[in-house]
Amino acid sequence: METKLLSEHYHQDDFQNLAGYKKQGGYQVLAKALKMTSQQIIDEVKASGLRGRGGAGFPTGTKWSFLPKNNEPRYLLCNADEGEPGTFKDRLMMERAPHQLIEGMIISAFAIQSAKSYVYIRGEYNEPIRIVEKALREAYEAGFLGKNILGSGFNHEMDIYAGAGAYICGEETGMISSLEGLKGQPKLKPPFPAVQGYLRKPTIVNNVETLAAVVPIIKDGAAAYKKFGTEKSPGTKLFSLSGNVVRPGNYEVPLGYPLKDLIYKLGGGMKPGKKLKAVIPGGSSAPVLNAIEAERATMDYECLAQMGSMLGSGAVIVLDDSNCMVDMLGNLTHFYHHESCGQCTPCREGTGWLNKIVSSIMEGRGRLQDIDLLVKVADNMKGRTICALSDAAALPVLSFVQKFRDEFEYFVREGRSKVRGISYAQMHH
Amino acid sequence: MPKCTINGQEVVVKDGATIIEAIHHNNQKIAHYCWHPGLSVAGVCRLCMVEIEGNPRLQIACNTVVSEGMKINNTSEKVKDAAKWGLDFHLINHPLDCPICDQAGECGLQDQYMEFGKYDPEMAERKVKKKKVVDLGPTVVLDTERCILCSRCVRFTDEVSKTNELGIFNRGDRSEIGTFDGKELDNKYSLNTVDICPVGALTSKDFRFRQRVWYLKDAQSICTGCSTGCNVKVYFNKEGLFRVKPVFNEKVNGYWMCDEGRDIYKFVNKNARLLKGKKKKPTGFEEFFPGALAKDISSLVTADPGKVAFVVTGQFTNEEYDQVFSLWTKKWGSKNIFHWLNSPEKQNEFDGLLLRGDRNPNTQGLLKRLKDFGISTQWKDLITKINTHEIDTVVVAGPENPIWFPDFKEKLASLAKAKSLIWMQSSNHPEFENVPAGTYLIPLKSFVEKEGTFTNYSGLDQKFSKVTTIVSEALTLTEACTLLAGENLMIRPDPNVLIAAHPTADRVTLEHRKKNEFVFRRGAL
Repeated sequence: METKLLSEHYHQDDFQNLAGYKKQGGYQVLAKALKMTSQQIIDEVKASGLRGRGGAGFPTGTKWSFLPKNNEPRYLLCNADEGEPGTFKDRLMMERAPHQLIEGMIISAFAIQSAKSYVYIRGEYNEPIRIVEKALREAYEAGFLGKNILGSGFNHEMDIYAGAGAYICGEETGMISSLEGLKGQPKLKPPFPAVQGYLRKPTIVNNVETLAAVVPIIKDGAAAYKKFGTEKSPGTKLFSLSGNVVRPGNYEVPLGYPLKDLIYKLGGGMKPGKKLKAVIPGGSSAPVLNAIEAERATMDYECLAQMGSMLGSGAVIVLDDSNCMVDMLGNLTHFYHHESCGQCTPCREGTGWLNKIVSSIMEGRGRLQDIDLLVKVADNMKGRTICALSDAAALPVLSFVQKFRDEFEYFVREGRSKVRGISYAQMHH
Repeated sequence: MPKCTINGQEVVVKDGATIIEAIHHNNQKIAHYCWHPGLSVAGVCRLCMVEIEGNPRLQIACNTVVSEGMKINNTSEKVKDAAKWGLDFHLINHPLDCPICDQAGECGLQDQYMEFGKYDPEMAERKVKKKKVVDLGPTVVLDTERCILCSRCVRFTDEVSKTNELGIFNRGDRSEIGTFDGKELDNKYSLNTVDICPVGALTSKDFRFRQRVWYLKDAQSICTGCSTGCNVKVYFNKEGLFRVKPVFNEKVNGYWMCDEGRDIYKFVNKNARLLKGKKKKPTGFEEFFPGALAKDISSLVTADPGKVAFVVTGQFTNEEYDQVFSLWTKKWGSKNIFHWLNSPEKQNEFDGLLLRGDRNPNTQGLLKRLKDFGISTQWKDLITKINTHEIDTVVVAGPENPIWFPDFKEKLASLAKAKSLIWMQSSNHPEFENVPAGTYLIPLKSFVEKEGTFTNYSGLDQKFSKVTTIVSEALTLTEACTLLAGENLMIRPDPNVLIAAHPTADRVTLEHRKKNEFVFRRGAL
């Protein structure tokens, strides 16, 4: 069963509008939050153990407390540049409950005393941009945004920024560069955004889901929120289930939910006649789990980390026995090659190299040493760059080769896929 | 002043110094491309990885500030491996152009690969193809394939020249350097991008394909292009000079020099020089050995030194001024010394970085000596005196580079009205064809062929040495004047006459001329 803390009213069409949102108790939490002090909100969020839902899983309250204690203007940025292949939860949240996000953002902005925030929405998300824009207008008209919100003396302005279509702009410093009007390239750290971010001012960047989750935390308190999930991964999370399952979609479950229940109960199991082969549990950057691991994995930060993978953005991609792992990796390396910003050498050259090696294998020109070379190249890309894109490109390669080496070796020896039976070149003849 | 340990050695560094600075300070080697001491930190080449005790991940040395008690290691296997692979990533799409590449021999990629490389290339795929010849502007050509995207040139145009012509376009391994639409790399400092380019991606139109660098010798000198006096290195072989590059001197020019200064070698080379002593006759020029001619016409000067005027430009060394002025004032008691100042209206111009309106290397030295010898003459007096025949003979020490003297033709014409004109100059000039009969031309040595001291705009004395000989018969100003005075060069000049009025302390602070780590790694052959 789903635990609908955030998505309870997503099925109601009028939840998109201010009137419908207010009918379900909307903006009452904001009124409550504005009566608290900002430190109380930060403490509450800290106590709830809420961890960033964008991918890295960094504790949100701790991130907020990194801001320097001075009167410098500071910014809150909402990262809605949902680019991780397989992830589509932010889109749903913005389309179905834009006011939930806005309310969460105003509370968060009040907590960090920011007078200006931006929602950086992925450029291709036309519908969410339109809907959030409309909701923003409604919020301004109702006095939830602007000067002296609900008579509390707190001023806040919010704007939408449509991204320009790059995966790297979902990285927080890349997003800041993009927002500043520069080429979307991550910035060198230190200085960290909380010290010097957007326009060289202290900046907090949070994911859509993280900011929306602030609402239930303030509403019922941290203790109530902690009842869901595990000790180290409290709360609920939306998982974007995709791949060859009967009912793909977004499912909100408490963290620590078993992966097999997500696939077999909520997702309705594999498509008829297919057998589970592998699961990518946290978006394309997460190392793949094989069927045995998937059986015993639970969806929380610790368990997946222990299995050598990660929860990431919560995009569960289910692969069955008709999927060729070499093809899959070819798809991923192509993606990362295309999306590398080209700043750091190991990533710029490494993503291209990986893609070329996998393509060679897929075209039947592979050599057996290429499989080891994939591992060597990926190993040397890991942890050597400014941002995590290099790691994101390297980790799937390492896990695919490690766990499905037989398929790679078969492809090299026979010049065709072990699963499909034909080579890439033949397929596209 | 934090104290840290680098490879077991204790080092005390300045507050806020980064690890790479500490490592260089400690004279240890570290692989790096994108870091340049004169530019901001980009941190993109990922070569300068070091191991810091207590940190499981390797950190880049260029962006990590040293803190008290930090234990840094850059010789461990982990670090070496990171550098090896970092270099291999740089090389996988870098063309093996070395045999036809201008940078070969002074290439950062070659040098660093020798030092830190993997020596076991594993790239078996096709390289990325990019444009080979991209015209960036009047001075620079780009080879996009060779570029390793260190972004030094982009940062240079952003931070130093502040002209922002360059940018990195496209993403991933399709990234390439280029100019923004409608712009070209045409700032006054554009050739510095060629110097700081660690590979052969940016090449100077002036130098490319002209010489292999290993056939060139180099020596330090001072740029004579303007009164800033940038410290330079000139590259030459027996055919002459080929290029000029800046040398780091934090008191004068930092790491940079202007494009105009790089052209100074052109008027030093043989094809631009006055090679023989010449005497203009109604039928044309008669050529002489320069020293012989000078001695031969000494009677023109010595007959009545009071009727001789000396015209001098700010292009000679302090030593020459001292000796010639003492000859004039002490031996002959004449004060007919006139300062030919080019473009007086531009003297105080300054472009904010290096280039100054005063296009003489030693105006300050000359002014100081004119003052010390009590000479305060006006140019218009000279013209009057010539017209009233108070002055018969004019001896001119002309400019090395006549381009900076827009009034050259006019001055030549007005001085030619004197009964005899002795024009001493290192470079040739087309106007010499039109001089009246009775004019003598004596070739002088250029700044690379002599040693001496220049005083720059701020009063800093900079000593330089002889680099090479181009016109072997040419004379220095002192030699020419000694001969004109009827003396013999072989005999020591009278110490009472030719004393150095200003013993110049060797203030050329050699310790400031540290190597520009990267570009000038290679010493003289």
